[in-house]
Amino acid sequence: MSGVSGGAVVRQGQDPTLPFWRAAVILRILTLLFALGVVYYHRTFYERPWLAFVMGGVMIVWTVVVSIRYWRPVGGNLLAFTVVDLVVCCAVMTSSRWVLTFTQLKVQATPLVPTIWVTGAVAVGALHAGAVAGAAFGAVVAAFNYGVRGYFDVDLTRDMILLVGIGFALGLAASSLRQARRSQERLAEALRVEAATAERERLARSIHDGVLQVLARVRRRGAELGGEAAELAKLAGQQEVALRALVSSAPAASEEGMADLGARLKVLETDRVSVSAPATAVLVPAETATELTAAVREALINVERHAGAEARAWVLLEDLGSEIVVSVRDDGVGIAPERVAEAEREGRMGIAKSLRGRVAALGGTVNLETAPGEGVEWELRVTR
Amino acid sequence: MISVMVVDDHPIWRDGVARDLSERGFEVRATAGDAGAAVRIARTVRPDVVLMDLNLGAESGVSATGQITGELPETRVLVLSASGEHADVLEAVKAGASGYLLKSSSVEDLVDAVTRTAAGDAVFTAGLAGLVLGEYRRMAADPEPRDAPRLTDRETDVLRLVAKGMTARQIATRLVLSHRTVENHVQSTLRKLQLHNRVELARYAIEHGLDAEPDGAPQ
Repeated sequence: MSGVSGGAVVRQGQDPTLPFWRAAVILRILTLLFALGVVYYHRTFYERPWLAFVMGGVMIVWTVVVSIRYWRPVGGNLLAFTVVDLVVCCAVMTSSRWVLTFTQLKVQATPLVPTIWVTGAVAVGALHAGAVAGAAFGAVVAAFNYGVRGYFDVDLTRDMILLVGIGFALGLAASSLRQARRSQERLAEALRVEAATAERERLARSIHDGVLQVLARVRRRGAELGGEAAELAKLAGQQEVALRALVSSAPAASEEGMADLGARLKVLETDRVSVSAPATAVLVPAETATELTAAVREALINVERHAGAEARAWVLLEDLGSEIVVSVRDDGVGIAPERVAEAEREGRMGIAKSLRGRVAALGGTVNLETAPGEGVEWELRVTR
Repeated sequence: MISVMVVDDHPIWRDGVARDLSERGFEVRATAGDAGAAVRIARTVRPDVVLMDLNLGAESGVSATGQITGELPETRVLVLSASGEHADVLEAVKAGASGYLLKSSSVEDLVDAVTRTAAGDAVFTAGLAGLVLGEYRRMAADPEPRDAPRLTDRETDVLRLVAKGMTARQIATRLVLSHRTVENHVQSTLRKLQLHNRVELARYAIEHGLDAEPDGAPQ
C-alpha cells in the first residue's frame, strides 16, 4: 500500500500529498496544545487527575513520535503506523472513563481527555489510504466517542458526521492528487517517447544519408577488387546490414504492454538472414513477442552452428488474424527425418526441446520439416 | 541492349551503380537525383528499366514510380532500396513497380534482376513476398472495400515459399509446377494489387471531384 506514495516520492522527488502530511503534523501539535490546556483547566475537577496527567504525557510522547514519522511519509510500515496511531488515540479517549467524574461524562459533556487531538489519526488514515479508509477511521473514533460517553445525542452525532466527513474528504483529495500526478507522469512519458522517436528518426535519416551510402559503396567496390579488399568489403557489408536494422527498428515497447513482433524480428536481419514481415505492425503481447523472438534467435544460432558455412536463412512472419505464424527456413545440409529423434538425443537438435518449450508456454505449436540437403524449416504457430 | 536509368539522391551510390551496370553491358541512358527530374528525364529517354531508390531526400520515389509506369507502359521500374522502408516498398509496388531488390544485394543479383525486369518478370525478394502476402491478408481482414483482390490458394502457397527464400525453380519442384507457371503466379499477385490500386485511386478521384480535370493518366 505504502509503495504507491513511496514510489512517487522516490521517482519524482516529492509525493504530491506531502504538504497535506506536513499540515496534519502541525494540526497534531496544535491540537496537542489545546488538549493539554483543557486537561490543565480541568485538573482539579477530574475524578483521577493523576491519570489525566499520565495521559497528557502519553499524548506528548506520541505526538513527537508521529510528527517525526509523518514528516516524511515514505516506507513500508506507514499503513501499520496509521493503524497504531488510531489505536493509541482511541486508548487515550477510553481513559476518559476513569479520568472524568460520572457527571462530567454523562451530564456536563466535559471534553474527553484528548479532545480534538484524535482527529489527527483520522487525517493520516485518509491521506495514506484514501476516502473509504478515511471515513472508516473517522467512524472508529466516533464509535469510541459514543462508547466512552455511553449515550447518543445531537452533539456526539455532529462530531461523528464531522469525523467521517473529514476523513472522506481528505482521502478523496489525497487520491485525486496522486491520480493527477500519475496522469502527469504518463503524459510526460508519452512526450518523452515522442521526443525519442523524433530524435531516432533524425539520426536514422542522417545515418542513411551518410554512413550507409559509403558502407554500401565500400562493400560493392571491395567485392569487385577481390583479395584483401573483399575481406574489408565483407566487414563493411555486415556493419551495413546491422546498422540498417538498427535504424529501422521501431521503439521496443508499444501501447499497453503490446509489441510489434515484426519490428522485433527485423533486428535479426544480417547479410545471411532475411526477415520478411507485413508492412503494418504485428501487435502481440510483449511477452509473446519476446518469447517468439528468442525462439527465432535460437533457431538462427542453430543454423549458424549446424547448417554449414554457406547456409542462408529466411524468417517469415505472417499475421493470420487469429493466429501468428513464424517460419524459419535455411538452405543448409538438413537432416533425415528418421534421424531427427536421434539427433535430438545427441544434442544436435537440442534446440528442438527448448524451442518447443518456449512456444508451448505460449499455447502454440512447433512443426519441424527437414530432409538431407533440403535444409531445416521450423514453423511456429501461436494463437492470438 | 537493355537501357537503364538510375534514380538515387546519393551521387556516390548512383554513379557506382551506373558504372557497375555499364561495365556489364547495359546502356545507362540517364541518372537522376530527385523524383521530379526522374519523371521528366524518363519521359525523354524512355529507358527499359528504371532503378528507383525510394528515399530521395525529402521526397519519396513512390509517386515517381506511379507516374513513370502510368505514362510509359514500356518502361519498368525496379525498386532498389534499403531494408527498413517496408511501407514505401509496398506502396511503390502497388504504384506499379515490378520488383524490389535490396541495396545490399550483390552486383550479380542486380544484373540478374535488371535483366529479368526488362524481360517482363517480377523480381521478388523474400522481403517483398512477405510484404505482399501481408497486404493481401490485411485487405482480407478489412471488410471495406468488398471488391479487394484475393489470392488464390496456389498463389498463397507460391508467395509463402518465395518469402521463405526459395527460388522459382525450387518452388516449381516442390509444388510440381512448371517454372513458367510459378513466375506467372508471382506476377499475377502483383498485377492484381496494382490494378486494385489504380481502381482505388480512380474511385478516390471521382469521390473527391478530381476527375473533372481533363488530363487523366493514359491507361
